[in-house]
Amino acid sequence: MSETTKNTALFGLVFGLIVLTGFMQSWNVAVLILNMGLISAIMALGVNLQWGFAGLFNVGVMGFVALGGLAVVLTSAAPVEGAWSAGGWRIVIALLAGAGTIVGTVMVRQRMAAGRARNIATIAILVVGFFLYRGIFDPGVAAVEAINPALQGNLGGLNLPVLLAWPMGGLLAAGVAWLIGKTALGLRSDYLAIATLGIAEIIIAVMKNEDWLARGVKNVVGLDRPVPYEIDLQNSSAFINRAEGLGMDVATASSLFVKLNYSILFAVVLAIIFVMAQLALKSPWGRMMRAIRDNEVAAEAMGKDVTNRHLQIFVIGSAVCGIAGAMMTTLDGQLTPGTYNPLRYTFLIWVMVIVGGSGNNLGAVLGGFLIWFLWVQVEPMGLWLMEVITLGMAEDSGLKKHLIDSAAHMRLLTMGVILLLVLRFSPRGLIPEK
Amino acid sequence: MTGNPYQDDRGNKDASIANPQGGGEMTPAVGTGKEMNTTDAFLVGDSMTGGYGKDGPDILHDCTIAVNPGEIAVIVGPNGAGKSTGMKAVFGMLNLRQGSVRLDGEDITSLSPQARVAKGMGFVPQVNNIFTSMTVEENLEMGAFIRTDDFSDTMEQVYGLFPILKEKRHQPAGELSGGQRQQVAVGRALMTQPKVLMLDEPTAGVSPIVMDELFDRIIEVSRTGIPILMVEQNARQALEIADKGYVLVQGRNAYTGTGKDLLADEEVRKSFLGG
Amino acid sequence: MDFLNAIVALSNFVLIPAIAYGSQLALGALGVTLIYGILRFSNFAHGDTMAFGAMLAVLITWLLQSMGVSFGPLPTALLALPFAILGTMVLVLLTDRVVYRFYREQKAKPVILVIVSMGVMFIMNGLVRFIIGPNDQRFSDGERFIISVREFKAMTGLKEGLAIKTTQGITVVVAVICVALLFWYLNRTRTGKSMRAYSDNEDLALLSGINPERVVMYTWLIVAALATTAGVLYGLDKSFKPFVYFQLLLPIFASAIVGGLGSPLGAIAGGFVIAFSEVTITYAWKKVLKYMLPESLEPSSLVQLLSTDYKFAVSFVILIVVLLFKPTGLFKGKSV
Repeated sequence: MSETTKNTALFGLVFGLIVLTGFMQSWNVAVLILNMGLISAIMALGVNLQWGFAGLFNVGVMGFVALGGLAVVLTSAAPVEGAWSAGGWRIVIALLAGAGTIVGTVMVRQRMAAGRARNIATIAILVVGFFLYRGIFDPGVAAVEAINPALQGNLGGLNLPVLLAWPMGGLLAAGVAWLIGKTALGLRSDYLAIATLGIAEIIIAVMKNEDWLARGVKNVVGLDRPVPYEIDLQNSSAFINRAEGLGMDVATASSLFVKLNYSILFAVVLAIIFVMAQLALKSPWGRMMRAIRDNEVAAEAMGKDVTNRHLQIFVIGSAVCGIAGAMMTTLDGQLTPGTYNPLRYTFLIWVMVIVGGSGNNLGAVLGGFLIWFLWVQVEPMGLWLMEVITLGMAEDSGLKKHLIDSAAHMRLLTMGVILLLVLRFSPRGLIPEK
Repeated sequence: MTGNPYQDDRGNKDASIANPQGGGEMTPAVGTGKEMNTTDAFLVGDSMTGGYGKDGPDILHDCTIAVNPGEIAVIVGPNGAGKSTGMKAVFGMLNLRQGSVRLDGEDITSLSPQARVAKGMGFVPQVNNIFTSMTVEENLEMGAFIRTDDFSDTMEQVYGLFPILKEKRHQPAGELSGGQRQQVAVGRALMTQPKVLMLDEPTAGVSPIVMDELFDRIIEVSRTGIPILMVEQNARQALEIADKGYVLVQGRNAYTGTGKDLLADEEVRKSFLGG
Repeated sequence: MDFLNAIVALSNFVLIPAIAYGSQLALGALGVTLIYGILRFSNFAHGDTMAFGAMLAVLITWLLQSMGVSFGPLPTALLALPFAILGTMVLVLLTDRVVYRFYREQKAKPVILVIVSMGVMFIMNGLVRFIIGPNDQRFSDGERFIISVREFKAMTGLKEGLAIKTTQGITVVVAVICVALLFWYLNRTRTGKSMRAYSDNEDLALLSGINPERVVMYTWLIVAALATTAGVLYGLDKSFKPFVYFQLLLPIFASAIVGGLGSPLGAIAGGFVIAFSEVTITYAWKKVLKYMLPESLEPSSLVQLLSTDYKFAVSFVILIVVLLFKPTGLFKGKSV
């Protein structure tokens, strides 16, 4: 079987499964899986850039995805009236003061000779800077958060079109990735994994607690959409006529229409990123990246700046994850920092990349769809399995109840088993790197 | 990309998740397609032909190395002549396509390096030959790991041979000087009371004075009756103490003889000893 | 008097909780560092191994409680601990046999093992949730306090009270015993030394006749014991919740790295460094300062440097600072 046939067959299988879902469950579920599959595929592409191309171990995917989500609020939400004048500028000044403190510390450390004087100066600047920052920051935050706290209490966004939020999400993630990469990749030995693991938790902590930013755990709901609202469709006579012409219920039709619109948008983004990733892979830049990966010493000896290349690809990969995160928040229509958890947003993406085939963009895309499909469908399948297993048990048996109640947790178990099976029997993934 | 996907770490060197230190690289590669029996000695690597890996090119060609009790046999030769490779072949770290290795008359060609240690071979690798984070005494204890009897006598013997080690017995071996480290390495190998001792370039990277001292110690060890097989970069000094010398060139036996003969041989002197 | 009150308040809110938390982190970090030193990878499944061990302890505690067994003033969970350790040992040995051993035979690179451990993490996480569910479980019983605030105030007549929870006392005692046993084992026994040798130089250990499979087996056994103990102590002190154990992974990794990966002494030091910084930086110092400063200077705010939600940030910043200035960690991470 040639490679193309095999790959086509694999993709055919995954889309067949999604179509089957449409026939057996509902088309709504099927299109939802498709949409999240598209987003997952983009995330997997981002991780694949880092791990597959450059061997960078990023276990902070969740953080970049969340930053993408944050960007949606900051870009597309309407500004909260009076927030900027009440304390917004104060907050900005405080953040600048905080950044200035850190820059100042670094500069002092570079200028002064090592020794006790330098250490005292460092600590003094940090302490003074910290209290200065808190002194400016706290009243600003209090003022902003006092504005209509039940519904707002944040700065709001720039009121730009929501589609702009996607590249903005990428930019925001890229900026943070640059800071992390500059620090972690510059350490004498690489400590990227632990750095990303930590940063992701911090990003989520900031998003949960800094209410002035995006309302924290109070969530921001009702975000703008790039597609029409169902209710408008249901009131449009043209749409009703067309739906009835197709013999469909108007409510279902409107919901499907909206989701399919998203699918088209997401597919376009996926296509663009995929083509760019492929071009990058085949470009001299991509070849150099793989050369560095396969033999760093030789590449360094040839005068390649390895750290800088690593920084580049880390930033780009994170940006892709940020874009996907922004798309996901747009699809949800709300930002809920409390729902981000590393198993779902970091490690599941890793499963997608490994199962699909690290180092192969097509593989990452396939992994994204396949693993997302399973993630969604293992739950009903597990429930069904448990019902079959417990068929013979008494109706009031405690074990039966426990097993059926616990079926929801089958998905984690299954993901682990799939990852281990692929690693063991097909360690290069379903579509291996060429 | 390597052939084995499990060994493909994509160049990752992230120290927070993967430990780069102390990992093993030794691959037991044993067995031979064609047995050979041309000479007789206590330890003999007989007509060895082979190279690294399954299909690696041959590095040794019909190469024979042998040593008897009370002797010091030295393998010398130009860089890349396969000196260390020859020793590794005797120790079972090379795929032989032809040849046999016999110890005390017993064919050990198909044994793994660990099994050869149990049979009575002591091996001192060229690098990474001590446990740097452990004390000198612990190093010696680990050398005696396979022994179930009381090894305090052997330890005293080793301390007798290398008095400096007794002085530094509670110091981490990694803190010692280069020459002292080599003594620890040799001492560790002696702890099993081996029937034969193999040294891979014991004087690599030490000063000439330390080198002379190390050679003196090696002679002392050999006086206890243990046959010693040694690879040496410093050919002239090594041949001076050798009972038997092997000059290898491109994996073949070029010259063989007593140390004195080889030193006197005009051709050997011209080509390998710089006149 | 004010000075004494300040000391008591400091002990009550900072020192004692930090010591208890530090001990728990240290035990966790010891497990991570042992795996790192000997199996040469960071085990992402460690938090979930802790959760599994603690879950077993919870289940056995419930069983014992239902049978009417109790441990007097001490929590019944301590009686359950040995059984839970045994259960966890079985699990990790099984995991090693079914999963990890294959990769050792292939001489797989450590980073491959890290990814493998992600798979194990998913499975263990799912297993724990499947068996006991994702919710909070309380299993602490016996006396709640060694000294309660009221007793302390009556005893000393101070305005500030000091409470030592039984679980905090037990945590420290058990941790000290575990650490002493571990160090005795690693430094004094033949098997322990062979583990250090294997960690230091695998090839030379092989040449010395050390059997790697045995070393690996003992490592897993010790790790199972440490992880279960850490998990149970943490659960007794706070409460048992599977997801929380997963989140402990970050402070535990941070402890191990701050101390110097591969160094057991470092793991302990790192655990306390992380715990103390987390607690001191997220503590509201007003209570202590009001005793120390003259009335006119008394702070109006809480004097809390960072809100408690940022405790991850603290471990992380400590980590970065240590890595910047001492990349090998406080104790040079080299071997076990």
